[in-house]
Amino acid sequence: MNGVPLAAYIGLGLFMFTTGVVGVIVRKSPIVIFMCIELMLNSVNLTFLAFARYQMVPVASPERLQHSMMAGQMIVIFVMAVAAAEVAVGLGIIMAIFRLRDNVDIDEMNLLRG
Amino acid sequence: MNQTVGGVAVTPELLMFGAIAGAAAICAVGVVAFNNAVRSALCLVVNFFLLAVLYFTLNAEMLGITQVVVYTGAIMVLFLFVVMLLNLGGSKLVHEKSDWKKFVGILLGCGLFVILGAQILPQLVHVQPMQLDQDLAKFGGPEAIGRTLFTEYAYPFEAVSVLLLIGIVGSILLAKRRI
Amino acid sequence: MNYESIWLVLLFPILGFLIQALLGTRIEKTLGRKVLGGLAVLPIALSFAVGLVITLGTKGGTSNTATIGQWINAGNLSIPFEFIVDPLSMTMVLIITGVGALIHLYATGYMSEEREYARFFTYMNLFIASMLLLVLGANLLLLYVGWEGVGLCSYLLIGFWYKDLANAKAANKAFIVNRIGDWGLSLGLMLIVVFLLSQGNHVQDGRYLSYDTMLPALQNGLAANPAMATAIALLLFVGAAGKSAQFPLYIWLPDAMAGPTPVSALIHAATMVTSGVVLLNRMHVVFEMSPVASAIVCVIGAFTALFAALIAFGQTDIKKVLAYSTVSQLGFMFIACGAGAYWAGMFHVTTHAFFKALLFLGAGAVIHAMAHNQDMRNYGNLRKYLPITFWTMVVGTLAICAVGIPGVFGFAGFYSKEAILGGALANTHAQINGVQLGQISGWVGLGVALLTSIYMTRLTCLTFLGSEERWRAIPAHTEEHHAEDHAENSDTHHALDENHTPHEVPISMWLPLVVLALLSIGGGYFLANGGAFEHWLYPSGLPVLGEVSTEPTGIPLAMYSMIAALGGIALGLVFYLKGLPKNQGFDESQWLGLRRAERDQFGFDNAVTVAAVDGGGDIARGLWKWVDVALIDGIVEGFGKISGGLGELMRRWQTGYIRLYALMMLLGLVGLIGFFAIVFQRGVR
Repeated sequence: MNGVPLAAYIGLGLFMFTTGVVGVIVRKSPIVIFMCIELMLNSVNLTFLAFARYQMVPVASPERLQHSMMAGQMIVIFVMAVAAAEVAVGLGIIMAIFRLRDNVDIDEMNLLRG
Repeated sequence: MNQTVGGVAVTPELLMFGAIAGAAAICAVGVVAFNNAVRSALCLVVNFFLLAVLYFTLNAEMLGITQVVVYTGAIMVLFLFVVMLLNLGGSKLVHEKSDWKKFVGILLGCGLFVILGAQILPQLVHVQPMQLDQDLAKFGGPEAIGRTLFTEYAYPFEAVSVLLLIGIVGSILLAKRRI
Repeated sequence: MNYESIWLVLLFPILGFLIQALLGTRIEKTLGRKVLGGLAVLPIALSFAVGLVITLGTKGGTSNTATIGQWINAGNLSIPFEFIVDPLSMTMVLIITGVGALIHLYATGYMSEEREYARFFTYMNLFIASMLLLVLGANLLLLYVGWEGVGLCSYLLIGFWYKDLANAKAANKAFIVNRIGDWGLSLGLMLIVVFLLSQGNHVQDGRYLSYDTMLPALQNGLAANPAMATAIALLLFVGAAGKSAQFPLYIWLPDAMAGPTPVSALIHAATMVTSGVVLLNRMHVVFEMSPVASAIVCVIGAFTALFAALIAFGQTDIKKVLAYSTVSQLGFMFIACGAGAYWAGMFHVTTHAFFKALLFLGAGAVIHAMAHNQDMRNYGNLRKYLPITFWTMVVGTLAICAVGIPGVFGFAGFYSKEAILGGALANTHAQINGVQLGQISGWVGLGVALLTSIYMTRLTCLTFLGSEERWRAIPAHTEEHHAEDHAENSDTHHALDENHTPHEVPISMWLPLVVLALLSIGGGYFLANGGAFEHWLYPSGLPVLGEVSTEPTGIPLAMYSMIAALGGIALGLVFYLKGLPKNQGFDESQWLGLRRAERDQFGFDNAVTVAAVDGGGDIARGLWKWVDVALIDGIVEGFGKISGGLGELMRRWQTGYIRLYALMMLLGLVGLIGFFAIVFQRGVR
């Protein structure tokens, strides 16, 4: 779309990212923490695609340009795939923990205490 | 309608973007703010939809569709399944006590936004999207993505497929009651 | 066979040592002790034979060096394996192997009832080999190797009956006190090398410690530097004093009598203790350059002679009397060397080897006959039972008392002692600031000669003469003899009681006595005849001092020494012929104060023990408590405690709350980015 500065997209991505970070720290339920992690991943996706579209640095040749644009897309594909796998496993973990204890509160899982 | 705000021309595209982005931001805050887990999940779903729209505006059509199908259609559905299974919504409202960690967390989050934003955003205000000719406009389409994925990025592709396999096996193991 | 074959002399004892070390016990079991004993004596006798042949081919004043190979080659310094064949070394070779062979023969009889027969002769052969290396080595470093080797063998042999703690302590004392002397010697060696290097003109082939290259270089270099000569000389003398038991490093020699008597005879009478005199004879150039050092040598020699002679009067153990007599006679040798009459010192080494070995072996025969009881107060009238021993001991006593008629005939000691005293009184070399310390030492020596006669007569009277057989009055006064500690068969090791009858020793023991007695009678006469020995060793006199006279002008030395010798014997007979005086018996509280002081070495040994041993122990304990435990352990454990403390502090952060961890990560992230943002200010593009 013509006319939208890059800063807008990056700004949105940054905002979503920091929101996700705050969410991880602030929320108690592990499900919600997971969701905030997904939020962070998406913000990263958005940033990559924005940079792929708005080529900031002039490149030497058209092949390099094509390569550079496709690179952003590729990263996003892989991030999505990894996020999917991660969610599957993570939710499995949460289910397993919930079977042992009835409440799902992340503060109760402090066996790493030193 | 040719005003400028802070040196940037206000165009219809910018306004549309602003609406969508604003809604997405509000939904993001909603994910964090709602006590009810179901409401958080639904906020996240809306957020993802809006992001898919944004991807379309960035000429990444394939990825936009993938976002809808994979993220909202699969991942968020999983989340909602788990929330329902664990009965986290409604009667299991957990009232979280506010303590110093929350406050410091929010503060630091704002701090992070401010610091990073102050560094990055001013430089990017005047960057306009590249002009695309016919060929290049299709760079986000399935044909281009498919070609690149299966030629240049064939090795990461295979690796990710192995990763997904591992994820499947892992999640099955985790979910079974008895090995 | 000429000087090139000198290595054979060294080879035989080494072979003997190896054979006995590896196969000794097996030979003893299969072939018996007599064969083993013969195998021990044989190498020494062979060495003597070879040495004799080579000696006959060595003309006076010549010096040949036989080089076997290279040992050290380090930069400027080159030390080859070389042996020197000259009159000095051949004299010592003949003494070591000749007297050594006789003592080995004696030991086969003396030790026949002991356990660990093979080990004894292994050590003895090793000792002979080390001593030969010491005298044959043609450079100071080989001498030092032999020096250390004899110190080691002395330790091994003194502590031969190691199961008794007192013997082990005596062995330790000998080794440690020797070490002090060795420290001085090694410093002297290093100083010589440093000095020669600083001279600039390099010694031929870089052989800084070889006698043939070093001594001329020292003579040239030290002429202008008497202070350096004094320093080197005194350091070398410290080494000599350690080995030759001069004051204050004599304290090990009396304790060393804890070893078997053949050991005392060989090591502490004839050979090892004369190493110091040999060293001085080798390095006489340095001493000639330094009147101060020579004077100090004289003074210490004289003082030691007097001190030891006085102590000998307070001793009741027959071996201790002989030990102090050795110290005293060594003092005489140093008087000679200090005064410049080096040949007289060597002469006395030779004659002393004869008569002192004879005296020790005779004492050993007495001890053997008296069931290992060494207290002279238990002897008496032994000439009835031990005739051969008696007559040979009389010969030895006459030799040490320097009995003789001037110009006609004298026993061995007569000629050598007169040469020493004559040399001391006739020369003016040993002086400090004009004070003729050499001559003063000569007069002191004359007095000591008188004392020597008296105490040696005392020994003879108490042991052999008199008619009272005092051992029949026991068991009130004997100490127990622990036969089971070292006897092979306890039943043959008889005890001393009122029914004891001493019997004469077997031929393996009295034959060496007779041979040594003959040498004590005739040895001096033949060596001194017409100055034969003097002209063989130093035909043209000394390099710096020239011809050294031993005939003092204006002093009737011959008459004075005859008075000393015969008068001393007369006095001794007067006091002791009837046996022990009442106030010198077993009740030591009746002794005169002087005698009691003499018995305890005037308190010197005690003082040294308290200062060195106890003081050293206290220092060590103090260091342990304060430095090691408190300081060092404190620091090391302190580190541990600090780490532990820090760890305790840091533990508080490991709460286990994931959100806290995430918060910390965020904090770190913000901090880092903020840091980079602020520090590396990037302007707006």
